[in-house]
Amino acid sequence: MSVPVSSSPLPPSPGDSSPARPSAVTPRVLARSRASRQRRATRVKLWLGAGCTLVVVVPILLAGLLPLPGPNEQDLAQRRLPPLSGGHLFGTDQLGRDLLSRVLHGGQVSLAIGVLAVVVSGVIGVLAGAAAGYFGGGVDAVVCRLLEAQLSLPLLMMLLLVVALFGPSVPVITLVIAVAQWPELARLTRSLVLVEREKPYIAAARVLGLRRGVILARHVLPNVARPASLVVLLLVAQAVLLESALSYLGAGPQRPFATWGRIISDGQDYITTSWWLITLPGLVIVLLVVGVNLLGDALREATRRGRKADA
Amino acid sequence: MIRYLARRLGQSALTVFLTVTAVFVLVRLAPGDPASAYAGPTASPEDLARVRAQLGLDESVLAQYGIFLRGLLHGDAGMSYSFRAPALEVVLGRLPYTVTLAVAAILVTAVVAIPLGVWMARRADTAREIGASVLTVAGQSMPDFWSGVMLLTVFAVLVPVLPASGFTTWAGLVLPAVTVAVLQIALISRLVRREMAAALAAPYLTVARARGVSERALVWRYGMGNSLIPVLTALGTRFAALLNGVVVVEVVFAWPGVGSLVVRALETRDYPLIQATVLVTAALAIAVHLLVDVCYPLLDPRVRLGKAAAA
Amino acid sequence: MTRFGSGAVLDRRSLLRAGLAAGAGAALAPLAACAGPVGAATPGSLTLGLNRSLVSLDNKLNQFDAALTVQRAVRQALTRIGPDMSATPVLAERFEQTAPTQWRVRLREGARYSDGSPVTVADVATALRMYAQVNGSFVVNLFPELPSVTPLGERDFLLETARPVPILDLLMANILITPAAANRPEELSGGLGSGPYVVSAGNGGTGEYTLERNPRYWGTPPPVRTVRVRFVPEESSRVVAIRGGELDVIDSITPDSAEQLVGLPGVAIERVPGTRINQLFFNFRKPQGHPLADARVRQALSLAIDGPALLNDVLVGSASQAEGVVPLALVGAVRTGTYTHDPAEARARLDALGVRDLTLTIIWESGEFPADASVMEAVVEMLRAVGVGARLQQFEPGGDILRWRQGRGGDWDVLGNGYPGPTGQAITSLLGMYGGTPDKERTRDTYQGYVVPEIADQLAVAAAETDAARRAEVLTAAQRAIWASWPCLWAFVPNVVLARRTRVRGLALQPINSYDLAAVRVEEQP
Repeated sequence: MSVPVSSSPLPPSPGDSSPARPSAVTPRVLARSRASRQRRATRVKLWLGAGCTLVVVVPILLAGLLPLPGPNEQDLAQRRLPPLSGGHLFGTDQLGRDLLSRVLHGGQVSLAIGVLAVVVSGVIGVLAGAAAGYFGGGVDAVVCRLLEAQLSLPLLMMLLLVVALFGPSVPVITLVIAVAQWPELARLTRSLVLVEREKPYIAAARVLGLRRGVILARHVLPNVARPASLVVLLLVAQAVLLESALSYLGAGPQRPFATWGRIISDGQDYITTSWWLITLPGLVIVLLVVGVNLLGDALREATRRGRKADA
Repeated sequence: MIRYLARRLGQSALTVFLTVTAVFVLVRLAPGDPASAYAGPTASPEDLARVRAQLGLDESVLAQYGIFLRGLLHGDAGMSYSFRAPALEVVLGRLPYTVTLAVAAILVTAVVAIPLGVWMARRADTAREIGASVLTVAGQSMPDFWSGVMLLTVFAVLVPVLPASGFTTWAGLVLPAVTVAVLQIALISRLVRREMAAALAAPYLTVARARGVSERALVWRYGMGNSLIPVLTALGTRFAALLNGVVVVEVVFAWPGVGSLVVRALETRDYPLIQATVLVTAALAIAVHLLVDVCYPLLDPRVRLGKAAAA
Repeated sequence: MTRFGSGAVLDRRSLLRAGLAAGAGAALAPLAACAGPVGAATPGSLTLGLNRSLVSLDNKLNQFDAALTVQRAVRQALTRIGPDMSATPVLAERFEQTAPTQWRVRLREGARYSDGSPVTVADVATALRMYAQVNGSFVVNLFPELPSVTPLGERDFLLETARPVPILDLLMANILITPAAANRPEELSGGLGSGPYVVSAGNGGTGEYTLERNPRYWGTPPPVRTVRVRFVPEESSRVVAIRGGELDVIDSITPDSAEQLVGLPGVAIERVPGTRINQLFFNFRKPQGHPLADARVRQALSLAIDGPALLNDVLVGSASQAEGVVPLALVGAVRTGTYTHDPAEARARLDALGVRDLTLTIIWESGEFPADASVMEAVVEMLRAVGVGARLQQFEPGGDILRWRQGRGGDWDVLGNGYPGPTGQAITSLLGMYGGTPDKERTRDTYQGYVVPEIADQLAVAAAETDAARRAEVLTAAQRAIWASWPCLWAFVPNVVLARRTRVRGLALQPINSYDLAAVRVEEQP
C-alpha cells in the first residue's frame, strides 16, 4: 500500500461539464466518456464496498441480539456439524460450538482492536506528522528518521516479538498495531501540512500575532483532517488483517476468546475433514476487508475528483 | 557520489545498529526466563543457576550488551540456546530458503502484475476492468494464512498434485510462492495501472500516436518505459519486505526459512537467535533499499544522486 | 554533486538486460544451494516427519521420544527398553546385578563403531562423565545417582552406586555411547556411533537428516537403505503430507489427526497405551482454609468432569481415563480407583462443604498434551455446569509457566500437565511427582507443592528395596494413599499414536513412544 506520495497525481481529466447547447456530443457519447466512466466505476466500488462492509459489520454489532447460541456454549455431542445442519448456519466447531456465533463475537474483538488501533495511531501519526511539517528543522529530522527506521524494520517480526514478550492482551495488541501503522498517517499529514503552511491565511494568522501552536491546532489541523481521514478506512482494513495474522500465529487474546485468526488456526487441524472451519471465517474476513478497501478507494477517488473540479 | 554513498552507508549501518539495540533491550525487558526454556521442565534450581551462568544471563544487562557488541564485531551473535550452535550460522543456513521463496514470488509477481496493470490502464473503467480491479482489491484483502491454507486444501488435499510442506522437491515451491505472490500482484498491478494511466494520457503520447507509432510500441516502449522506475522501485521495496516478512506463509507451508525460524525462536525465548534473525533480515532489507536507490540514476538519466541526497 | 557514472557507455537498455541476467542469477544461486533431495517414496528409503526439530543426534540435553528413535539408530546404549518394559542388552552382552549396589557388565564381542574401531570400557566411563558435566540434562535427572565405572578387563567392568538403584539396567538405556576421544560435555552434532545407520547429511538448523545403512554394522544390517528425517512442525501439514505419501511415518499425532487418517487407503494407524500421564493437577500450595486444601472439595470437583465425553468427543478415543496415579503400562503400577461424572452430586457435596462462588484459574502450556486447548475449553464449561467459575491462562512454550508452577508468577488452582515414564518403571514417575519433601519445598522444587511425608517415605523405601515382592507391596500401599489424597481434578493416559504408510512394515511401536528403526522394512508396491 505504501506508494510514494510524489507519484500519485493523476493526469488532468478532460472537462466533464456538459454545456446546454446544440452539440454533436450526445448524452450517449457523454456516457461513454472517460469522466463518466470513472464516475461510474467509483459508484460501483462505493456501493459494492458499502454492501460488503455492512453485510459483515451489522451482524457483528448485533451479535448479542441475534438468536444465536453463545460463542463458548458447547455441546460435545454436536461436534463439527457441517453448515446448515442442526440449526447452525455455519455449522459447529470441534467442541460443538456454533461457528457463526464464534465468528461474529470474534469479529467484535477484531473490529474493536482495529478501530481502537487506528484511533491511537491516528492521534500519534497526525500529531507527529503535523509537528514535523509545521515546525520543520529538528522536529522534522527526528520524525523522519523514526519513520525511516520503522519502515525498514521487519514489521510482523517486531510485532510478534513484542506480543510474545509482553503477553497477548487486548491493550498490548492494540498498541502494537497502532505503533505499526502510525508512519502512514504521519507521512501523509506531514506532506499536507507542508502545503497548507505556505497558504496566505496562515501568514495572516501569523501577522495577527497568534502563537505557532495555536495556528497549528486551530487553523492547520482542521484543514488537513479531512484528506487525512480518508486513509483511515484503509488502515482499519490493514489493522483487521494484522490482528488476525497475529492471533493465527498464537499471539491473540487468551482462550476461550474467539478471534478470527485463532478460529482458522484451530480449524486447520481438521483441514481434511471439516472444510467450513477455515473457509467460512476466512470468507468473512475477506468480505469485510474487501468492503472496507473498496469503500476507501471509492471515497478517495471521489474526493480527488471533487478537488479537481473545485480547482 | 562517493560522499553520497558513504553517507547512505553510514545511515544504513546506524539504522541496523539501532534496530539490533532496540531488540536487545526489548527481549531483556520482557518477562520469561530463557534459562528454564533451555534447561527443560525437570531442571532443579541449581541447574537453572548453572545454565544462567553458562549463558551469561547472570550478568547485568549492560554487561550483557557489552559482550554482545564485542561479539558482533567479530561476526559472532552468540550461541543459539535451542540449536546449541552459533546463532548467525543457524540464520544464514536458513536464509537461502527464504531468498528462494522471495525471488520466486517476485518473479511470479512481475510476470503477472505488469501485463495485468497495463491491461487495466488501457481498459480503464470498463466493466471488465472494474471487475479486475475489484479482484485485485480482494487479492490484497485476503489474509495470507487463509489463502495459503485454502490453496493447500485444494492442491494438496482435494486434488493432491502438489506437496503440502517443506522444500524437498521443486514442486514444493509452487504453493508458497503463489500464496506470497497473490498480495504482491494486487499491490503492483494497481501501481502499474496508475502509472500507466498517467503515462498514456501524457501529451507526448498523443503526439506519438498522431505520428503513426504503432499501438504496441506506444504502450510498451513509451508508456511502460516511462513508468518503469516507480514500478521497479516498488518491486524492489516489495522484495526487501519479503526478505523479512514471509513469516506467516513459511509457517503455513512448513517452509524451512527465516520466518518459521523466528516464530520458533520467540517461542523458546532464544535471545541470541532472535537478535541474529533481526540483524540479518534488517541488514538485508536495508541493503536492497540502498541498491534500489543507487540504481535510480542508471535507469533514469534525469536523476542525480547528489540531488536526491539534498532533497 | 558529482555526476554519476559514464552514462554514454552504460545506457539504460544494456543496464536493464544486465539487471535481468543478474536477477536470474540471483534466483538460481540460492535454489541450487538448497535444492533438496528429489521426490517422495524413493524405493528403499523411508521418510519420517517429526513435529519437533531434531537438533542433534545426541540426547545429552534434548530428549523427546521420536528423537530417541532416530538417535538410537546412530548411537547405541548398553541396553534398551524392550517390548515388555524390561532391559534388553544392546552394546552390553551381559548386564547383571551382583550386589545391591553393584552391577557387572560385559561389552558385546565385536561391537564396533562405523569407522571400525571397537567399543571400549573407557568409552562408557567417558560417556557417563560427559552426561554428568552437561548442564540442564533431562537424562541425568532420571538417575538417583550416576554410577561409577571400575574396569575389570578389556570388555568387563563394574557399575557401582552408593545406594541401591534396582533399575540401573533400564536407566543405562539412556546413556548413548560415543568413542571417548570424540565425546564432549555438550551435544555432539556429528561424530561416530555404533548403530545400524550413519549420518550422510544433516542440518541441525532445519532439522533435516539423511541416514544411510552403516556398512560396518556389528549386528544384522537393517532392511531399509536410506532414512530421511524431516521437521514438519504444523500438525495439519504432517497429516496432508502422509496422505499424499510425502512422508512415510509421523509419530505422536493428535487424536484429530488420527481421526482424519483412519480408513484412508495406504495409511495405517498404530496405537499403544502410553507411559505418560496427563493430569489436571491441583495446586497443593494453597493455605489452610482454602477450599482446595481440603481433599473432600477436590474429590467433589472431580465429579464435575465428564471424563467419557472428553475421551470420546475431544480426545476421540485416543486416550483412556486414568485408573491409577500412574499409567498402568508402567511396571509396578496398580489400579486405585476411577473418576466418575455426577454433576448433581458434585454440587451437593460442594454445598455440604460450604463452598460457594469458587472460581478456578487453570494454567497450562500449549502442546503439553494432545488437544490441550480443546480439553481446557471443555473443562471450563463442565465446571460452570456445577456453578464453579473458571479462567484459562495459556502459556507458550518457554514462557513464564515455570515461575507460575513454582508459585512465583501468580496464583493458580489447576495445572494441565503431563508426566513422562521414560524408564517404564512406576517408581520413577511416582518419586518425581509424589516424593516431595519439606526440604525440597523450601526451594519450590516439589511437584506443585505436593508434600506428604508418609508417602514420600514409603516411596523412598520402595526405591531402594531390592526384594521385588516387598517393593511391590510398599509401592501398592503408596499408590493407594496418593489416590485417596485426590491430587487431580482429572487425569488420563493418552495412547501413543503413530501413522504410517502401509508400505512400512515391521514397525513395533512401544509404550515409551519409540520404536526400533533397524527393524523397519519398506515394501515396494508394484
